[in-house]
This record gives sequence, structure tokens and C-alpha cells, in this order.
Amino acid sequence: MVSTAAVRVQGLWKRFGQQVAVAGIDLELPAGKFIGLVGPNGAGKTTTLSMVTGLLRPDQGSVEVVGHDVWRDPVAVKARIGVLPEGLRLFERLSGRELLGYSGRLRGLPGAEVDKRATQLLDVLDLAGAQHKLVVDYSTGMRKKIGLAAALLHNPEVLFLDEPFEGVDPVSAQTIRGVLERYTASGATVVFSSHVMELVESLCDWVAVMAAGRIRAHGTLAEVRGEAASLQQAFLELVGAGGRDTGSNLDWLGGGAR
Amino acid sequence: MTGETNLTPVFVRLKLSLLRNGLRQSGGRRAAYVASAVVVVLFGALQLLGLIALHGNRHALSVVVLLVAVLALGWTVMPLFFPSGDETLDPTRLVMLPLRPRPLVRALLTASLVGIGPLFTLLLLAGSVIAVAHGGTAYAVGVVAVVLGLLVCVALARAVAAANIRLLTSRKGRDLAVLSGLVIAIGAQLVNFGAQHLGSSGLSQLDPLADVLKWVPPASAIGAVDSVSDGSYGVAALQLALTAGALMLLLAVWSRHLTRLMTSPDGSTLQAAEPAARERTAGGLARLLPAGRTGTVMERSLRYIWRDPKTKAAWVTSLAIGLIVPVFNALQGTGSIYFACFAAGMLGIQMYNQFGQDTSAFWMVATTISSAHDAYVELRGRALALLVITLPYATLVTVVTTAMLGDWPRLPEVLGLSFALLGAMLATGAWTSARFPYSIPQEGYKNVAPGQAGLAWISIFGGMVSAALLSAPVIVATIWANVAQDGGQWGWLLLPAGAAYGAGITLAGLRLAAPRTAARLPEILTAVSKG
Repeated sequence: MVSTAAVRVQGLWKRFGQQVAVAGIDLELPAGKFIGLVGPNGAGKTTTLSMVTGLLRPDQGSVEVVGHDVWRDPVAVKARIGVLPEGLRLFERLSGRELLGYSGRLRGLPGAEVDKRATQLLDVLDLAGAQHKLVVDYSTGMRKKIGLAAALLHNPEVLFLDEPFEGVDPVSAQTIRGVLERYTASGATVVFSSHVMELVESLCDWVAVMAAGRIRAHGTLAEVRGEAASLQQAFLELVGAGGRDTGSNLDWLGGGAR
Repeated sequence: MTGETNLTPVFVRLKLSLLRNGLRQSGGRRAAYVASAVVVVLFGALQLLGLIALHGNRHALSVVVLLVAVLALGWTVMPLFFPSGDETLDPTRLVMLPLRPRPLVRALLTASLVGIGPLFTLLLLAGSVIAVAHGGTAYAVGVVAVVLGLLVCVALARAVAAANIRLLTSRKGRDLAVLSGLVIAIGAQLVNFGAQHLGSSGLSQLDPLADVLKWVPPASAIGAVDSVSDGSYGVAALQLALTAGALMLLLAVWSRHLTRLMTSPDGSTLQAAEPAARERTAGGLARLLPAGRTGTVMERSLRYIWRDPKTKAAWVTSLAIGLIVPVFNALQGTGSIYFACFAAGMLGIQMYNQFGQDTSAFWMVATTISSAHDAYVELRGRALALLVITLPYATLVTVVTTAMLGDWPRLPEVLGLSFALLGAMLATGAWTSARFPYSIPQEGYKNVAPGQAGLAWISIFGGMVSAALLSAPVIVATIWANVAQDGGQWGWLLLPAGAAYGAGITLAGLRLAAPRTAARLPEILTAVSKG
């Protein structure tokens, strides 16, 4: 089936024991867009992305990426997607360059091509100086960057990034941003999760808001934002945390008096 | 200038509080501490009695000097292997406090005299003095020797810790700690072997070594006691001075490192500025390996054997036990040539829980496996990496064992049996890797994540029993070759037969494991991500 959607999710469920992590998601993500999946911690973003990328088996539901079913047609899907998961290790006892070489060759790219692309990616992501250092000695920002490089190496059609900016310094964040913007400008799709609204607002043209395992709103940035002043405001209203005040219990805090 | 309050009691109290609070954390820890205290005191008392019994023996000096030297060695390496054992050992924790080096050194030194280790050292030193002392003057010098010896030991540990604190708090230091258990185990084997050797050939062998060691602090303090007993007061004074000088030197070194640690930025900020100079050593390796996924997987597996402390520890254990069991048994004359199969069996274990060895980085593998064929190539690559080391090693151990026992006619059948067993281990290892994966925690000594011990037992023991059953045809054939009337002349046939059987069964195991792996990728990833 030919489709314009990059990702089509239908009736996706996942339970961990008593807890429902994802409670029936139906979602269609348009191709060629910079898509943000936003939500508070524990909303089910990582679980959803893991299921969409084939790293976690859903209890129920189906996922299609560029028209191919993730679970029935893994050959077509795995070659077309790039993944940067959150909370999973890399092969950290390889150097940055070795990791890229390993990852690219596992995907069946010719060795010379892998080395060429790795050199360029290391250069663009500002990792050339640390390319022979073991990844275990990398900082958080460097790990995210080398993970991104590994996810981009085979030139996927859809890129899934789980919290790519979490714990990343501003310089690395700007570098990552530049690479991703260039990548989407060529017609590829980026799906990334975050709980930093300002970031999503400045980067994305399409947003899906998640809370408690469900999609609360989705659409273009303008549609989701609606009447609210900012995405942050709209988001707080959507997840029902808008009116909460910090309270008067901390009235002693600040002001200099003991 | 040196501070209004005396630091020493503060630090002693700090040490006691840390000890007490550490024990309060968990019942298990308290029990372990009390048990180790009891064992140390008992052991200390026993060796004290033993050393007292040694009094008057001609070789007493050799024994005690060696004991003290070994003890000092223990004090030297202890902080490297157990950096977190004593929190007051890490002076960087005190960096925010306004402290002067001299009182700080004094206070830390006194505080480190509190504990089981110093108590044991005290007992051993006291016993050593009693073993070699004759006459009142000797005992008087003995008291000085004990104090000096104890201080040298403690200062040694502190100086080593302070000099290496950068290393110890870094990733490399933590890697080292994972290997420490292994070093101790192998060291114990060597000591055991050495003791047996001594037992059979007499203590006099120690004398030349002791002649040197009695001049090396802190053993020189005990040497002084012996010299006084002999009436050579000049020599004794020299030996004591040497010990005291060593103590001063250690304190100076420690104090200098301490000052530098407390007044310069800590390692984590310095590291970023270091030039990344790491040459690519494995470039040649890649050229020797086959192209494509097979070579890529082999290369990574081989690199991990060397670079990943957990994998390295497991391999060194397997290699050491695989060699020690057949060779030591052969040395002691109790060996059978069939013990040589131990090498193949021990190394075959490394095929087990392949994906657990990847930790959660297995996702990188999982995202590139989209068919049973991919999984087959992945597993085959890992098996080949293993064979690159195992095949020559098992052959070598078998040949060495055969040479030691002089049983050359049986070499072919033992080799055949080894190869068949190795094949069976690889086959069952591949299958259990897919069916019963479990997490290997990266920190600490545990090799199974909490709650997965049952899985690990099923995997390893079920797998080993199955491997034994799978090699049954070759085992039966070997027995037949030995028992049957003219079986002996067919023994050589077991080499090609065993090798072919091993290869065949490995391929069959990989073929069976591959579709399971491909179908269970998410489940495997979940199982190996708990560490």
C-alpha cells in the first residue's frame, strides 16, 4: 500500500504488569516533517518509540513505517529507519570511529563507503578529535552525537530519536540541531521525543502531545498551540496541570530574612 | 597556624562512624563484617601461635621476613583493588575543608590504624618478633619494630592510594577493580602451589630470598630484632634506621600527593583537556578477517575480549582453569589425559549468554537483524571469533598435557573428543543465548542481574548437560576404542571423526538458534537490559 504517512500506528497497547504504559494509540505521522512527540516524564513516549522501532513487542496494535509493517516485514522497515534510543547502552568499548564502522558494516554497507561517511559525520558533529577515544569515556553530549551519527550512517528515510537533547550542552545541541535541520530539508522525516517545550516549538512543524499513555492532541504546531500563548501553555492545559500554583506553603523562601 | 583543634581524634571518630554506619546499612553487610572480623582474629591468633611455635627454629627468620614482605605487598595492592573500601582513603572528599597537610597526614595515619587489617598486621608482626627474638634487648627492639612495621604498612597503602587516586576514581580504575578478584584467585593458586612445593622440599629454599628481604622495609624491622638477638647491634641499628627512613619517605610522598590533590582541580575536569592519543591497533586485525557481517561481528567480539573488563575476566578465568586443571593434575601425577578436554569445555562456556555479554547495547544488533539469515551470520561470527582463540588453545593444552604424561598414542582421540565437546558447547551455547538470555551487571562482581539467577542456572547447567549428552557418540566411541580388543588401532580415527562431529553439531546448533534469535529480538533485548 502506498502511503504518504511516514508512520501509521493503530490501536497500540502496552502493559507492564498492572501498569498501562501505552493505552491505545492511533496516530499518523506525515512524511518529510520534523515531528515532536512531547509529554511529561512517564507519559509513555519511550515505550511508544520502542514499539514503533521494533525494539519492544506491543501487546496489541499495528505499526507501519513508510507503508511496511514493522513486525511482519522487518527487512523493509529496519533498512529504512534510524534509531537513537534513550537509556540503552552503545558498544562503549569501541572508539567512536570503530562504533560507526561496526554499525555501518552490520547494515551491509560497503566498508569504504562506511569509512567515508563516518569521517564526514565525525567532522560535522565535531567528534573528529575524539574519534579514537573509547565511547565509554565520552560525555553525555558526545554519546548522543555518536549515537546520532550511527543512526544516520545508512541514510534512513525516518529517524527516531528518544530525548536527543537530554543532558546535552548548548554547543552540542546546536550541532545536533543543524544536522537534523539539514536532514529534514532533504525530505526525510525526524520523529523525536522531548519534554522541553521551547525546543519542540522552535524545531518542529508537527507535534503529538502524549500524557498517561494516550495521545492528547496532534497536528501542526499552530493547530496544537491554538489560542494559547505558547506550546508550553497549551501543553499544560492539555495535560491538566495549567492551574496548579506553587502554593503559599513556601512563603519563607527567599527575601533574605531567616 | 596548624589549626586550633586537634584533628586526630576527629578523624578517628569519623572512621569509627563510617564503619558503624556502613554496618547499619544492611544486616548482610553487618554479618559479613562480623564474620570477617572473627575469621581474621582467629586466623591472626592461629598464626600468632604458629609463629610462637616457630621460636628457635633455624629458618624462623626466613619465614617471618617473607610473611611480613607478603603482608606489605598486600597493603600496597589493596587500595588499587578496593578503592571504595575505605572512604577516608579518598582525600578529595576533604578538599573543601581548610586543612593543613601536616596535621592532616598525622590524623589520617592514626585513623587508618583503626580496622581489621591493622589488627591482623599487628598480630602478625607481634608473632614475627616473638619468633625471632632472644633476650630482653631483642624484645625491647621488637616493640619498636612492631610499631614501625605497622606504620610503614599503613603509610604504604595511603601513599599508593593518594598517588593513584586519579586512576582509582576514573573508568580505568573501576575496570581494574573488576579484574582484582581474578588476580587474587590466581595469586592464591600460585601461593598454594608454592606452599606445596616448599612442603616437599624444605624451608631452607627460602634463605637466599630472606637474606635480601631482611633489608627491605618493613621486613627490615623484623630483621633488626633478629640481628639484636645475634648480638650484632650495628646491623640492627642500620635495619631500624632503614625502616624509619622508609616511613619518613612514604609520609613525605603521601603528604606531597595529598597537597597536590587538595589544591588542584579534580580529574574529571582535566580529562576533557587531554589530547586523545589512541592509536588504532586493530587495523591489521580487520584485514585478516572475512568481509561483511561475519568479519564485523568477529572483530567486535575479539575487541571486547580485550577491552571489556567483564568479558576479559570471564575469558582469563576460562583460559586459566582450562590450563591449570589438566596441567597441575599432570604435574602432581594424578592426571588423566582426558582432563585436557577441560580447556575446550571451559572456553566453550564463553558462547553462553552471548547477547547478555552485549548488555543493552544489543539493540544495535537487534536493529540490524531482520531475518533468520542475519541472525545466523551474527551467531556464526561470534562462534568463529571464539574459535580463533579456542581451537589453538585447546589443541595446545591437549598437546602439552599429552607431552607431560607421555601418552602420545592417545593424543588423536583426546583431540577428537575435545573438538566434539567444543562443538557441542558452541551449539548449546548459541541455542541458550537465544532462549535463556540474562543480564550481566557491568559494575561489581556479580555475573547475573538480580532475579535472573534461575535463568542463568538453566542456561549454563542445562546447556552443559546437553553438551555432554550431545558429545555422547564420540565419548562412546572413545570408550569402545579403549575397551574393545582391537579398538586401540582405530583410536586415530577419532580425531577426524570428533572434529567433523563437532563442526556438524555446531552448524546444526547455529541453524536452530538463528530463527529463535530473529523471532525473539525484543524479548532478548528486555532480558539483557536489566544490568
